[in-house]
Amino acid sequence: MKTIKNLYSYYLVLPALLIYCIFFVIPAFAGFYYSFTDWRLDRLTIDFIGWENFTKIFHDKTLTLALKNTLIFAIATVVGKNLVGIVLAVALNMRLKTRNMLRAIFYSPSILSILVIGIVFTPMLRTEGTVNRLLDAVGLHALSQAWLTDPSIVIWTIAVISIWQHAGFQMAIYLAGLQSISQEYYEAATIDGAGSWKKFTKITLPLLLPAININLMLTLIGGLKVFSEVFVLTGGGPGNASQVVGTIILRSFGEGSWGLGTAINTLLFVAVTIIAIPLLIFMRRKEVTE
Amino acid sequence: MGYTRKLAIRNYIVEAILILSSLLIIIPVLIMIFGSFKTNAEVLSFSLKLPEKWMFSNYARVFEEGGIARAFLNSLWITGISSAINIVASSAASFILVRRETKLANTLYMFFFMGLIAPMSTITTIRVVQWLGFYGSIPSVILIYASLNTAFSVFLYSGFIKTIPKALDEVAFLEGASVFGVFFRIVTPLILPVNATVAIMVFMSVWNDITIPLYFLTDSSTWTMPLSIYNFYGKYSRDWNLIFANLVLTSLPVFILYLFGQKYIVSGLTAGAVKG
Repeated sequence: MKTIKNLYSYYLVLPALLIYCIFFVIPAFAGFYYSFTDWRLDRLTIDFIGWENFTKIFHDKTLTLALKNTLIFAIATVVGKNLVGIVLAVALNMRLKTRNMLRAIFYSPSILSILVIGIVFTPMLRTEGTVNRLLDAVGLHALSQAWLTDPSIVIWTIAVISIWQHAGFQMAIYLAGLQSISQEYYEAATIDGAGSWKKFTKITLPLLLPAININLMLTLIGGLKVFSEVFVLTGGGPGNASQVVGTIILRSFGEGSWGLGTAINTLLFVAVTIIAIPLLIFMRRKEVTE
Repeated sequence: MGYTRKLAIRNYIVEAILILSSLLIIIPVLIMIFGSFKTNAEVLSFSLKLPEKWMFSNYARVFEEGGIARAFLNSLWITGISSAINIVASSAASFILVRRETKLANTLYMFFFMGLIAPMSTITTIRVVQWLGFYGSIPSVILIYASLNTAFSVFLYSGFIKTIPKALDEVAFLEGASVFGVFFRIVTPLILPVNATVAIMVFMSVWNDITIPLYFLTDSSTWTMPLSIYNFYGKYSRDWNLIFANLVLTSLPVFILYLFGQKYIVSGLTAGAVKG
């Protein structure tokens, strides 16, 4: 049998490996190197400057704001997408007449481009836009806001739009998880006299753990990598109020400060890896013990 | 009797709340669709009213003024070819990595898997593409997309190929088939449903993406739908009816794919949820 194993030639891995390395891995490693240089559009030479780019990131007001906004966006969307997703999944796992149609409706925004969603929401979120007019109409004038132009709330508005778009995607993963739980557990619990809440916390949540894990990881990584939402809705404005790491990289690229832009990218790389690897190891271990 | 009755009432309440909340999604989408058929004065109220007169001509104008036909074709090329490359390369790689079961194979799997987590390094990727001499071209973008989606596809394929019994390929090997023969004649027919899942998921994410075109497509003749609409939006920001018509056009392909491919999307999501 040993000889048969060798027949599985590594040549078949080569195309995927080459494409992946050339366009993803090599740039990532090059990124580490260029983060420590003064690589700029207007300079002919590239010199090593140590940690200078990184100290700049933490001392520049706009750049620290971008880091803060990225964190706010990531945390808000992780909480929002998962809470809404799990509530929708549990509700749409009940025997409702319209559940297939409702599932399709709640999932549908996640197949649209953020460009479409961003452009549709922009006029609706103006001071005199549809959202504020609706709030006025139901007597909630006090809640109306300059959603995309008030610097203190703009990043939250963007987070809510992202939750609006993707909670249905999280819902679909939770639904798949729910459907893999055997009904027998619930029947046994009913016989033992357990109420709905008890069933949810003692049966549903623990058995939903794989789906919760994958969803937390997807939303967290996606949240830290945020770019398109901010780019389409505000471009980082008003002023720099909604800049995030992703938009700062684009700005540095446009300004020709490539070394600095790469350093910010490296910072994101390290942050995402540090957060995701322990989660990943935890998940792999569980897979082995299964 | 009391219990089932209570359950039925509870279900009605839940259903009513859900239907009400679904309006939050339906209303913005309808405002876009109705708006795309309105005149440029009528559309500015951004309301849910039906168009007074259905202006189908908006769509004709979008094709004339927006260069949308070209962008549509560019998008189709980029999405189609990058999905195809991704499918062939990733399924072949996963096949070997799953069957080898060695330390090296396992390490390579994890190496690919890292791509699901790590963010791409955009500026240095531009550098690499420039060095290869095809920065700004459609082929460069095709290869970048194929590369960015490798991690996700290898993850999906590996999970599925593990469930195909090895005995099938061993028989073929003993009969003298090559590894290519085994992969294309035995494994490929069995993984057709996964191919559909990967094709749909990759197609949707590439079609909708705006980041890569923004950095890598410098010439307007190479722009994809989202990028050309973004620029149209900047230029024609008074003609919201035309902007909406553009948005409807770019959403149509993914919507059709979603209608016919739901089954495959669900199976892709299930793989993630159950395997975790």
